[in-house]
Amino acid sequence: MTVHNLYLFDRNGVCLHYSEWHRKKQAGISKEEEYKLMKDGFLAFQTSRYKLHYYETPTGIKVVMNTDLGVGPIRDVLHHIYSALYVELVVKNPLCPLGQTVQSELFRSRLDSYIRSLPFFSARAG
Amino acid sequence: MADEALFLLLHNEMVSGVYKSAEHGEVENGRCITKLENMGFRVGQGLIERFTKDTARFKDELDIMKFICKDFWTTVFKKQIDNLRTNHQGIYVLQDNKFRLLTQMSAGKQYLEHASKYLAFTCGLIRGGLSNLGIKSIVTAEVSSMPACKFQVMIQKL
Repeated sequence: MTVHNLYLFDRNGVCLHYSEWHRKKQAGISKEEEYKLMKDGFLAFQTSRYKLHYYETPTGIKVVMNTDLGVGPIRDVLHHIYSALYVELVVKNPLCPLGQTVQSELFRSRLDSYIRSLPFFSARAG
Repeated sequence: MADEALFLLLHNEMVSGVYKSAEHGEVENGRCITKLENMGFRVGQGLIERFTKDTARFKDELDIMKFICKDFWTTVFKKQIDNLRTNHQGIYVLQDNKFRLLTQMSAGKQYLEHASKYLAFTCGLIRGGLSNLGIKSIVTAEVSSMPACKFQVMIQKL
């Protein structure tokens, strides 16, 4: 079981953050086009290769996480990423302007540690 | 906690507001820091009146500094100062290893150059509090690695 990658979008579709952990195949399109595909209204779906989880807040922040098929519903995880990480470290950081890509090292490293600590994350892509 | 977030967000806006209304240049940075420090001074004066209305008189200067480090810091930042040092000749260093206004910013060197803007108000807070307790001082702050910082208090003998 593992996590492939994670996107964070704001209500205008600006991609605030992107991280990847185990991504076996790069898509045949550029990063910008990939972001456009990702943000348009999914809830959760799966293909034979991966499962996409989606979480949207009333303020329009969208958390999109791709995992492999072994992972069940993870709404609480996505909620934690929003409230304990994004709100705490980005919204409350005066040096992170809202509506722009997040530059904060602290956010990136805490998010990384959190994902790696999840029970369904294994260091070896399964 | 809603009240903590309120003070934090308001403080951040205050810093950015002061800087926005100034023009560019090195001189302006100093003026902005002074403005923020003066705001903190007035708030500190008021706060200390409120906090000490039921406490007994302080024995001496060290007693006052300990009050700032424990009760005052806890009421404002929900934690105590982690370390207080003095040379017993009017200089005190207050060390906070996880300063509340910096913890969301970074855990190391990122954004270090901006840290002083977010410390100015608190320096004034300390100076104002001491001033209403009868102590004239100069308060400065330094950060080498976020979110730990040191506030240096130099007592001015009249």
